[in-house]
Amino acid sequence: MTAFGKLIRTTAFRLTLVYLFLFALFAASLLGYFAWNTRRLINEQITTTVNAETAEINDIYTRVGLRGLVFTVGNRALRPGSNLYLVTTPTGQAIGGNVGSLAPGVMASTGWSEIRYRRLDEQDVAEHRALVLVTELTNGFRLLVGRDLDERRRLFGIVANAAQWSLLVVIVLGIGGGVFVSRRVLQRIDAMTGTTRRIMDGDLSGRLPVGRSGDELDRLAENLNAMLERIEALMTGLKEVSDNIAHDLKTPLTRLRNRAEEALASSGSEAEYRGALERIIEESDGLIRTFNALLMIARAESGQARGNMDDFDAAEVARGIHELYEPLAEDDGMTLRVRTTPVPLHGNRELISQALANLVENAIKYGKPSPVVQPLDPVAAMRAREILIEARREGEHVLLSVTDHGPGIPESDRKHAVERFVRLEASRTLPGSGLGLSLAAAVATLHGGELRLGDSHPGLTATLVIPALISGGDRLAVQTQDMPQKVA
Amino acid sequence: MCGAVAPWCEKAAPVTAILPPSQMRLLIIEDDRESADYLVKAFREVGHVADLASDGEEGLAMADGGDYDVLVVDRMLPKRDGLSVIGSLRERGNRTPVLILSALGQVDDRIKGLRAGGDDYLPKPYSFAELQARVEVLSRRNVGPAEETSYRVGDLELDRLSHRVTRGKDELTLQPREFRLLEYLMKHAGQVVTRTMLLENVWDYHFDPQTNVIDVHISRLRSKIDKGFERPLLHTIRGAGYMIRDGLR
Repeated sequence: MTAFGKLIRTTAFRLTLVYLFLFALFAASLLGYFAWNTRRLINEQITTTVNAETAEINDIYTRVGLRGLVFTVGNRALRPGSNLYLVTTPTGQAIGGNVGSLAPGVMASTGWSEIRYRRLDEQDVAEHRALVLVTELTNGFRLLVGRDLDERRRLFGIVANAAQWSLLVVIVLGIGGGVFVSRRVLQRIDAMTGTTRRIMDGDLSGRLPVGRSGDELDRLAENLNAMLERIEALMTGLKEVSDNIAHDLKTPLTRLRNRAEEALASSGSEAEYRGALERIIEESDGLIRTFNALLMIARAESGQARGNMDDFDAAEVARGIHELYEPLAEDDGMTLRVRTTPVPLHGNRELISQALANLVENAIKYGKPSPVVQPLDPVAAMRAREILIEARREGEHVLLSVTDHGPGIPESDRKHAVERFVRLEASRTLPGSGLGLSLAAAVATLHGGELRLGDSHPGLTATLVIPALISGGDRLAVQTQDMPQKVA
Repeated sequence: MCGAVAPWCEKAAPVTAILPPSQMRLLIIEDDRESADYLVKAFREVGHVADLASDGEEGLAMADGGDYDVLVVDRMLPKRDGLSVIGSLRERGNRTPVLILSALGQVDDRIKGLRAGGDDYLPKPYSFAELQARVEVLSRRNVGPAEETSYRVGDLELDRLSHRVTRGKDELTLQPREFRLLEYLMKHAGQVVTRTMLLENVWDYHFDPQTNVIDVHISRLRSKIDKGFERPLLHTIRGAGYMIRDGLR
């Protein structure tokens, strides 16, 4: 497309054309109205003058007779810029006035008419137009009094001229302005197009230019930039994830393959084969679990699980998870406690339970106090081995938290810890898929909330912060239930 | 140790041997030839009769005509998908228990499957031990004994109305959850109950914990009902799950 073609296709240019047409129409009608009114005014003036003069001459004729009439007419005809006069006999012969020639038949009918004539006293032989009144005097004489229409013609000329010029000015200014505005818009759009094309070519770091005027294009550019920001973050995340998946799934797959190969190569007993097969099944079960967790995270992140939302009490979820994990914690030498207030919540009960279960499993696995800093005081030692599940409401949010007193996660590692497959240095030796916190975070995000990792001096507090969409919190009497773990 | 997928890996007491086979007639509707053949063979090995249909239309016709104890239906089938097969059967008043097998394993898929008329749902890949245990529990539902008010296994008795549990002359004190766990085990006495089945039916959770939570609960329960008694009643079936039964081994 040529530059000009692009220019005239812009919205700004098309709008300019529409306005141009409208303005031209307006100017034309204004001038037309002016011209028409002027003509009416001039005609009215002529009519009045001619009527008065006719009456006057008629009066003179009545009083003084034909001689007086001819004298008066002759006199008046000689004045500069005079009206037109003509007196004819009953036979049609001119006996006075300043009209040279006349179209035939004009004197035959009385009343108003517009005629062409030539003056007697002028050198030029051009025909003029005039508005005349023919009246019949007594005795068959006729009198013509009229006024030249040259003035009216000249006025029309001026108006027509003005119309032409104004139209020209309107068109020139309009097109000029249109081109100017369109080019400005086009330049900015071209800049944007250039950037988007670079982005489409793969350079995700490109951003649209944003001007300082804050107009609609700037706002659009700002929004698009925010969108690009998000896309870039997602793409980077996706890349990291696929790298991690490749690594974390290939490792167990390699182990699986190696085991099968090793078993095949050795000429072992049936028991040895059996053992190898069992290990292979164990390994593949682990892989299946990892896959399930990944799918679950993907589901939660894409928002597909939003279908199964209902209202329930988050405190019940907390107590349920406490009940499920309390024996396990105890077997591991930990104490699992729960403290809840009734907190109604709208969400996916199953997913929130699982997220909380993951946090508790993490706390049991990684939340043991490190032996080096083991306090000697028995009360403090007890406290250090305690894991607390809490469900409470804080403002507009429901908080489900799990607090342990283990080594915690250093502030700098917290963001990192939530990512898929990340297993912090300290936990690498322990079993686990590295997906627990990712799933918890994805579930929180699905519910419009977040997973917060904080410090419990010492230890980790992992909190699912979920917006409470039900306002019924006050409905239930707020009561604190402290359920110390039961010793079975 | 046995993996979760190998029913035959238990040498001392394979699942086959410990189940006096109350033989079942099964219909497997599955289009993947290899998994279908595997299922038919595995079910026959443990003493059941298994027929095979390889698409939805054939499956519907066979299920309608035959007198099966349980149907095992894959969700994605040629000609007619699994959920529609189940829907048509239920419309015609056929109440045969159905277990749905599907690669779609998320909670909402499960709910969709159960709403369509399925009785149980097992995501792929599954272990045969898990499938077998679930199918056997479903089948018993088909026979339909009325919900009893008390269960008895050996000298262990559980009264569902008064929530009392006694073994011989001793009264046992159980936590509410332990009571429900025992109740479920005793309801399916003589049948293998897997960990996921317990998690689903006793706790109503459908996720897969990464740790052995259920084992810990079972060992607590076991310490209450079996400790100090000569004959253990609560048995671990390696590679499969648990079973409550009098006179095993």
